[in-house]
Amino acid sequence: MPETEKNNSHPRGFAGLLKAAADAPLIIPILAILTAMIIGGVIIALVGGNPFAAYIGLFQGSFGSLKAISETAVWATPYILAGLAVSLAFKGGLFNIGAEGQLALGAVMAAWIGYALPDMLGVSLPKVVHLTLSVGLGMLTGALWAAIPGWLKAYTGGHEVINTIMMNYIALNLTSFLLNGPMKDPNPLNVSARTPEIAPSARLSPLFEGLRVHWGFIIALLIAVLVWWLLWKTTLGFEIRTVGANPDGAKYAGINVKRTIVLTMALSGLLAGMAGTIEVTGLNYRHELGFSIGYGFDAIAIALLGKTHPAGVVLASILFAAMRNGGTRMQFLTQIPVDIISVIQALILLFVAADAIIRYVYRIRGSEEKLVLTRGWGG
Amino acid sequence: MKKLYLVLTVLVLAALVLPACGPTTPDCTKEEVFCVGLVTDVGKIDDKSFNQSAWEGVKQAESELGAIVQYIETTDAKDYAKNIATFADEGYDVIVTVGFNLGVDTRAAAPTYPNVKFIGIDQDQFEGTIDNVSGLVFPEDQAGFLVGALAAMMTETGKVGGVFGTDAVPPVWRFGEGYRAGAAYIDPAVEVFVVYHSDVGFDKTFTDPEWGAATAKSMIDQGADVIFGGGGKTGNGAVEGAAQAGAYAIGVDSDQYYTLPNAAPRLLSSAMKLITPGVFDLIKLAKDGSFPAGNFYGDAGYAPYHDLDSMVPAEVKAKMEEIAAALLDGSLKTNVPPVKP
Repeated sequence: MPETEKNNSHPRGFAGLLKAAADAPLIIPILAILTAMIIGGVIIALVGGNPFAAYIGLFQGSFGSLKAISETAVWATPYILAGLAVSLAFKGGLFNIGAEGQLALGAVMAAWIGYALPDMLGVSLPKVVHLTLSVGLGMLTGALWAAIPGWLKAYTGGHEVINTIMMNYIALNLTSFLLNGPMKDPNPLNVSARTPEIAPSARLSPLFEGLRVHWGFIIALLIAVLVWWLLWKTTLGFEIRTVGANPDGAKYAGINVKRTIVLTMALSGLLAGMAGTIEVTGLNYRHELGFSIGYGFDAIAIALLGKTHPAGVVLASILFAAMRNGGTRMQFLTQIPVDIISVIQALILLFVAADAIIRYVYRIRGSEEKLVLTRGWGG
Repeated sequence: MKKLYLVLTVLVLAALVLPACGPTTPDCTKEEVFCVGLVTDVGKIDDKSFNQSAWEGVKQAESELGAIVQYIETTDAKDYAKNIATFADEGYDVIVTVGFNLGVDTRAAAPTYPNVKFIGIDQDQFEGTIDNVSGLVFPEDQAGFLVGALAAMMTETGKVGGVFGTDAVPPVWRFGEGYRAGAAYIDPAVEVFVVYHSDVGFDKTFTDPEWGAATAKSMIDQGADVIFGGGGKTGNGAVEGAAQAGAYAIGVDSDQYYTLPNAAPRLLSSAMKLITPGVFDLIKLAKDGSFPAGNFYGDAGYAPYHDLDSMVPAEVKAKMEEIAAALLDGSLKTNVPPVKP
């Protein structure tokens, strides 16, 4: 953490450590999580449950066994990729609310390539080709879909928040049409809005026999490293961050701002689309209506909680995944409704977004740089 | 900063001490402990519909068979398999999965857990019998037949209507055709309007109350004075729309007097799947070691008249009981095939 390294004057010992921790960017999210858990515990107690039993159940359900850890990783995979997508856009000063739509279209494309391509070509494809095409074209679909609001923002000033929301509706209704119509599984026994199963050659393998966790989780972690490298170690990343921090300054410095905005959105859509393709090729082996409702929106929360840093996004994704996954066992052991998980997640977000509350409660002085998330009209 | 120090210390201590007082659960792996778990479809356990009716059957097993019972509410379709496995891994003896949507995951779990008996509500076992899976299905055509007969006896205009979700889902189609057959059984001259919402996708067909209400009202404009609504929220919309327009309304699946308070004053009856006794019967059979694999037929019925009890003539009530008894003992057939030909 560069913020702590430059501060050489803090006192030694435990108090010094704590001071350093308070200056670190992670302290606010961590305290936000703790505070939300405490308030969540009070709510559980108020409705007659045992908060300790509930949290133990939550922990057992998310990390208590190999199977539990595997399921947490399964949940975390799309969260990480979609969270990175939203974070990358934030770094470029853009608020991509359209991850949900980009994800859905990526999934549709991946599924279509997955089940239809071998028949169309009349040959069975080798796994490396088929899987790459399926994931790659799915990602490209997400990128193109996101580039449209990017282009509108750069060249017409149309605000990306409005446009990505509208593009979500188009994407989700288009998906609904495709899954109910041309792409619907023709099996006469099928009544669901879903595609046929993708060919085995388009499937990501599970990591271990008997567990659902698949290579997508490893890929997602690698992508997180790649995004970090892109943002902080490449010229393009520098341009993205500069445009995000100060578009006028960037223009003055000779950066092509318009091109960077379109590119940022396209990259964001690429990642969101990947989240969709990985769910199809790694987990569901088909696209089904309603399989992903919410990843793209949860991703916004995850990006905020992770302070838009790739490492933070990975941690926040694992936390959200653990809570979603462990909720089942919590409910099984204590009969506390899983809705409490949503309450705690909402509280975490509230405290991360309104960090003045946390700073006040824990007496942390504001020394952190302000997080620039997005800009207003014409920004 | 001291405060922060204190908070962190307390939390670390708590984390060290707490695992000792974790929750305890009965050991379902023991032979003598009979455990029944229920996994809901996406929704709440007290939905006054499928989930709740099924849970009441499980509760009956608790009080009458001494079973240890527990439920898990599903929040996301992705969790079906995991929720089923949560019970199975704990050594539960019977797992009830509620609703058509859990069918695939229920059948997938069965071979993995051969010692567990699975009861799948509304899960037709048409793909073949698995030894430890029983699909609790219902003669929807009989339920539709009953309320069709009731509608034909109660109509004053000689016209009755039915508004349904898509006919591509066999149970929905059986409700609709049973309704038609029931009305014709009483009086072939009664005109029956039956409309399925098959013009939209599966994501919409059961969740379109506006369409349901509008369709019900257009039928009433054409002279219908009894409307049967069947098919999720679409059907609910038809029931409420009909009640609002002053016609008699008929609900579906469970006694909708309790689920649709807006329609309750005009709700004549509901075409019911008797889920609670069906679930209990299957649990009992599982405990007795005579678990029936494949499809297990529950009973169809009709709900009480409630607020409109005084409006229903005694001879109509008697006729309804007669028809219900005849359908039950098989002396009366609806002649509706299981699937749309």
